[in-house]
Amino acid sequence: MEYYKLTLKINRMKITKCILFSWLLLSSVCLIAQSYKVPAYSTFKLQNGLTVNLMEQHEVPLINVSIILPAGAINDQNQSGIASLTATALKHGTKNYSKLQLEEALNYVGANVNTYAAKEFTILSASFAAYDRAKVLGIIKEIMVEPVFDADAFNKEKSRLLTILEQQKESPDGLIRSYFDKALFGNQVYGNLLDGNSESVSKLTVEDVRQFYKNNYSPNETAISIVGDFSTEEMKKTVTNLFSSWQKSSTTHESAAEKPIDFPKANRVLLLNKDDATETTFYIGSKGVSRSNSDIVAIEVINAYFGGRFTSLLNDELRISTGLTYGAGSWFPTYKYSGSFIISTFTANKTTEAAIDKTLEVIAQFHKNGIDEKSLTSAKNYIKGQFPPRYETSGQLAGLLSEMFWYQFDASYIDNFEKNVDGLDLAKANEIIAKYFPKNHFQFVLIGKASEIKKIAGKYGKVTEMEIKKGP
Amino acid sequence: MKKIFFSVLLLLPVYTNAQLKADDVKTFTLKNGMKFLVVEDFSIPNANMYLFFKVGSRNEHEGITGLSHFFEHMMYNGAKKYGPKMFDRTMEFNGGSNNAYTTENVTVYTNWFPAASSEIIFDLEGDRISSLTIDSAMVESERGVVLSERSTNLENSPWTLLSESVQETAFQQHPYHWPVIGYEDDIKNWQQKDLEKYFKTYYAPNNCVVVVSGALKFEEVKKLAEKYFEPIPSQPLPPVVHIKEPEQNGERRITVQKEVSAPYLMIAYHAVDVKNEDYYALNMLSYILSSGESSRLYSVLVDQKQLATDVYTNFGDNLDPGLFSIYAAANPGVNIDDLEKEIYIQIDKIIKDGISENELQKVKNQILIQFYRQIETINGKSDNIGTYEVFFGDYKKLFEAPANYNKITGAEIQAVAKKYFKKSNRTVGVLQTNVED
Repeated sequence: MEYYKLTLKINRMKITKCILFSWLLLSSVCLIAQSYKVPAYSTFKLQNGLTVNLMEQHEVPLINVSIILPAGAINDQNQSGIASLTATALKHGTKNYSKLQLEEALNYVGANVNTYAAKEFTILSASFAAYDRAKVLGIIKEIMVEPVFDADAFNKEKSRLLTILEQQKESPDGLIRSYFDKALFGNQVYGNLLDGNSESVSKLTVEDVRQFYKNNYSPNETAISIVGDFSTEEMKKTVTNLFSSWQKSSTTHESAAEKPIDFPKANRVLLLNKDDATETTFYIGSKGVSRSNSDIVAIEVINAYFGGRFTSLLNDELRISTGLTYGAGSWFPTYKYSGSFIISTFTANKTTEAAIDKTLEVIAQFHKNGIDEKSLTSAKNYIKGQFPPRYETSGQLAGLLSEMFWYQFDASYIDNFEKNVDGLDLAKANEIIAKYFPKNHFQFVLIGKASEIKKIAGKYGKVTEMEIKKGP
Repeated sequence: MKKIFFSVLLLLPVYTNAQLKADDVKTFTLKNGMKFLVVEDFSIPNANMYLFFKVGSRNEHEGITGLSHFFEHMMYNGAKKYGPKMFDRTMEFNGGSNNAYTTENVTVYTNWFPAASSEIIFDLEGDRISSLTIDSAMVESERGVVLSERSTNLENSPWTLLSESVQETAFQQHPYHWPVIGYEDDIKNWQQKDLEKYFKTYYAPNNCVVVVSGALKFEEVKKLAEKYFEPIPSQPLPPVVHIKEPEQNGERRITVQKEVSAPYLMIAYHAVDVKNEDYYALNMLSYILSSGESSRLYSVLVDQKQLATDVYTNFGDNLDPGLFSIYAAANPGVNIDDLEKEIYIQIDKIIKDGISENELQKVKNQILIQFYRQIETINGKSDNIGTYEVFFGDYKKLFEAPANYNKITGAEIQAVAKKYFKKSNRTVGVLQTNVED
């Protein structure tokens, strides 16, 4: 449960967030390469095809589990939201635990077990005391392998979800990504909504959930990664005993995500009216890259310079120099077979035009000037410096192992990361900009008060106007 | 009642190794009164520096509300050695990043960097603490940034508006009355001289506690601190906050208008500061009411009766007596009065019948695990060690916390529910679309 504190922390930056004097130049070559390596771990497969990763970490007496399997929103087919509801419904009771018993058992030991569907996959993530591993792993097994899908619990959850879908329309931040993905990917499955919408969810039944589970949950396309305070030998026995009975499925997955995408070929503007908006929340984006792109590290470095850190070009112009916004940034969301590029920011109603114009100006300047040597060094140092904390906790490491399984990369990506950053020279950096950072074919999504911003929206592309109350 | 010692309960790890203990925190105080707490941790080649300044919105007055938070922004906008924009550019060039947060009680600057860059971080901090310059052009652009921050928080969550309204109704005289971000008109009217005075008064080394955790040796940290911070002169201690909120002796209610699909409800009771003897019991009561699906309020309101889509409680850490708050988002079609009534029914159950042994043990288990989660990262270590040092007066209390919680009995929890959850002590806020009918 989230806490809303009286001591409400007002952070400096919503996003995480050289006129360089000669001494900086001197130190620029001297930063010690602090190479971070993936800690040792064991990996093996059960007879039913389940991939198991075990990594010991003993700093605290906790264990983290991450299970990943191919049941994401891209698998919804014509039942938008089914993957998400199924993931939630896993916890509605199992072979030996009713929903209430499950909740009581986990709450009692302070264990967190979350199940949710993302765009490409479903995740079960858990954190619990090492002392309770036998009990909690047994529960996790039942959740994954023996859920009962209680009808009463499903109906309550569905009703709750429909309310939450309505509430989401009150928060532009929460909704804008759904609209953007739809605008960019169109009818290809990467445009699918994560939670569905009111219309699609109303039609779903508990039988649909049962069927979706049957069609999509199988050990042979799944990985379980366990990181924390345990002994590998003992955990190997535990996992083998628990999960060997999970039957392999014979259904094959049609990989709709591999299908080609008809990316828009012109600038377009989606304007979503929110009557009481005092600010415009907007995305400007385009096509990106897939996770397996060989230049992914270089792209991350250059993006840090453009929009991926506090002193980025975007944030420097839009926040620091002009005060138009509290924060502006960019990133490259990646999936297995495709990806996008998104610039995100917000500004008061009356400065909407100024902020959008300024953003486009920054993009144009970026393509015109490219990146210089000093800025490249700074971006490289930044990315390297901020790298190790990504994998500090057992939870982060368990998540990494899931990612490695899903995107089919191995530890060398991590072990060689800093070396690859170092290897990016100026010529290559400028090639990266020209090749991957979009110049045009932008999709704009604006959520704001249409009566105040409609007149300027047409400046940026063909406008489609909708009411946010209608939902995605 | 059987006392269950937590060591038996769950925390014999499979392998005892590198578990953070109170002795792992080493301290020193510079001649100017700046106190340092250092934790050596070589698990990743990074370190952090958390600077806790004892200044927050409670130190303000009307006319300069939000100044502490604004000041937090201005700390990045230029000093003697590193001019405007140079603090961040230099830090990021050296592989570091940073953030900061302001609350009613403190302003905390957080720096995260490769251990190899530690000297430049000390240099940057020493420069701005000793010689911050307040450039008028930067003041104006930063004013726009803060207005944008205020606007986006209000835009994206009804809780922001509701909790600000309830807080200012619950507190009539004490500075907790206004929001940390300040009144919009004060934001638009801060003057340069207000900022300069604030800097002199509150940004003194003897008004600051610094925590460093990570891949740095204690001696290294001490040497850098002596070089870059010790020359900064101490200042007279800032004025004490002398206003105490008079006792609330009657229920207060406030209605707030916003376009929403279903109403939001907040109920706040005056509670205590961290040093009060009821602090631990109240924290446990917060867990019992809303932590997990099997908690009292969640199980009844969300699951059994479907009166709400979600429910939370919060009892924050404060230097002066704060609030214990309950938040619930109503289900559409539910009469908000019914939701409110049901919350009181559940509270009264605890007051009348207390809690079960099972619930008591559950909350102790949850708190203990939370402790371990908090110290798993170097950032969690610094944030918690610093918070305990500043709020409780002693970082060692962080490590004593599990034992202190373990001592609390069910009767004590029942007693604090009875003492604080009184109608006369509560402020109720409802946020909804229709406020006229």
